[in-house]
Amino acid sequence: MESIGINWQLLVAFLVNFLVLFGLLTAILYKPVLKMLDERQAKIKESLEQAEKIKEQTSRSEEQIKAAVEAARKEGQVIIAQASQIAEKIKEEAKDGAHKEADVIINKARAEIKLERDKSIAELRSEFSNLTVLAAEKVIKESLDAPKHRKLINEVLDQSSTFKQN
Amino acid sequence: MSKLGCSSRLMVILGIIVLALFLTSFVMGPLGSKFFNIQVPKNLQVSKPFVQLPSEPIFHIGGFNITNTVIASWVTILVLFLLFFSATRKMKIIPGRMQSFAEVVVEGIYNTIEGVAGEKHVRTFFPLITTIFLYVVTNALLALIPLWGTWGPIAHSAEGTVIIPFLRAANTDINLTLSIAIISFCFIEYLGFSRIGPLKYLDSFFQFSELGKAFGKLFKGDGKSFISGLAFGFINIYVGLLEILSHFIRIVSFTFRLFGNMTAGEILLGVMTFLVAFIAPVPFYGLETLVGFLQAMIFAGLTLVFGVMAVTSHHEEGAEQH
Repeated sequence: MESIGINWQLLVAFLVNFLVLFGLLTAILYKPVLKMLDERQAKIKESLEQAEKIKEQTSRSEEQIKAAVEAARKEGQVIIAQASQIAEKIKEEAKDGAHKEADVIINKARAEIKLERDKSIAELRSEFSNLTVLAAEKVIKESLDAPKHRKLINEVLDQSSTFKQN
Repeated sequence: MSKLGCSSRLMVILGIIVLALFLTSFVMGPLGSKFFNIQVPKNLQVSKPFVQLPSEPIFHIGGFNITNTVIASWVTILVLFLLFFSATRKMKIIPGRMQSFAEVVVEGIYNTIEGVAGEKHVRTFFPLITTIFLYVVTNALLALIPLWGTWGPIAHSAEGTVIIPFLRAANTDINLTLSIAIISFCFIEYLGFSRIGPLKYLDSFFQFSELGKAFGKLFKGDGKSFISGLAFGFINIYVGLLEILSHFIRIVSFTFRLFGNMTAGEILLGVMTFLVAFIAPVPFYGLETLVGFLQAMIFAGLTLVFGVMAVTSHHEEGAEQH
């Protein structure tokens, strides 16, 4: 044993050396580096998860935006359809109104024309009757009493279609 | 073109120098001088490698001999401490160069251990296995630096004058290899006892439960299987004794594997330097680098494997086989 150098003192010295190295390396190498590796792993995992979350969120909000745009488009279409319907209605109403108004005006005009005509006829008639009376007076030189005369003339006039009083 | 020519000319000159060094040292060395019958001046001769297995004491502290291998192991500890202290002093999430180095070392060994021991046991094995590896490999690699084994006081002994080096390859001291082997052994047995329970661990050697089953058969009146069970039980106890012996023999094999390889390497380098002082030892230095690395890996790896064997009890393995 001596010739290959086994010596309990040295053995103890090397045991102590090894344990010292073990302690030192644990303190300055294994603990900090493993901690750092774990930390980094946790961080990477966390950021990956976060990225995944953000991605998900983005896709979700994209979908939301798409849906909103779609809804807005549909709404717009509905509004446009409604508007055109309303426009059509308004147009129809306006047309109707115009027709009616025109009718009213025409009717009024007709009535007026008729009134005017009647009036003119009446006037003309009275004028004419007067004139006829006058003429007859002059012709006959005899004055018929006027009411009798008028009656006579009216009878005559009534026989003629033109001056018929309605 | 001219640059290339210059560098190739440089290569030729270097080659000639290397060849000249080799030839001169060969001719001046013991082989050449015998062959060509040249008288080489005494102070140009490389001294014969002086093989001494016990390490040489350099100074004493109290009754304690501090030998050159102890000093070398201190240097190893100091080097490892300074290297990794500077690397891990300011840990950052985004590592610098030194921190990256430390992380590569730790992560590489960590992953290797994880591959062998599984995720469950990595943290149990990691500190000790890594320490063994780093200690042995640093001892081996530092010993290849020319400072080791070349300077120190000259001692006159019966065999002539020899240098007692201040630093000697720490792995060539059997006390060092024995100390790591003992620690490795204690670690393995401690794991066995603490992880699977003292009784179960002992049972994994002797398989008392088989013997118990045999007695169970006796109570049932099955005499034939009792006798065969008893026989197998005693065989198991004998095998268990052998296995326990083999656990102790591990200390010896650990010790002498590392000690033998490293001492042989030192002697090989010494002999090569003695025969041909220049150039010829260079490939052997490369070889010794590899051997140092390999021996560290073997020491750490075997400790790991034995530890894993102790942690996963024999009983489970046996159950699988039956």
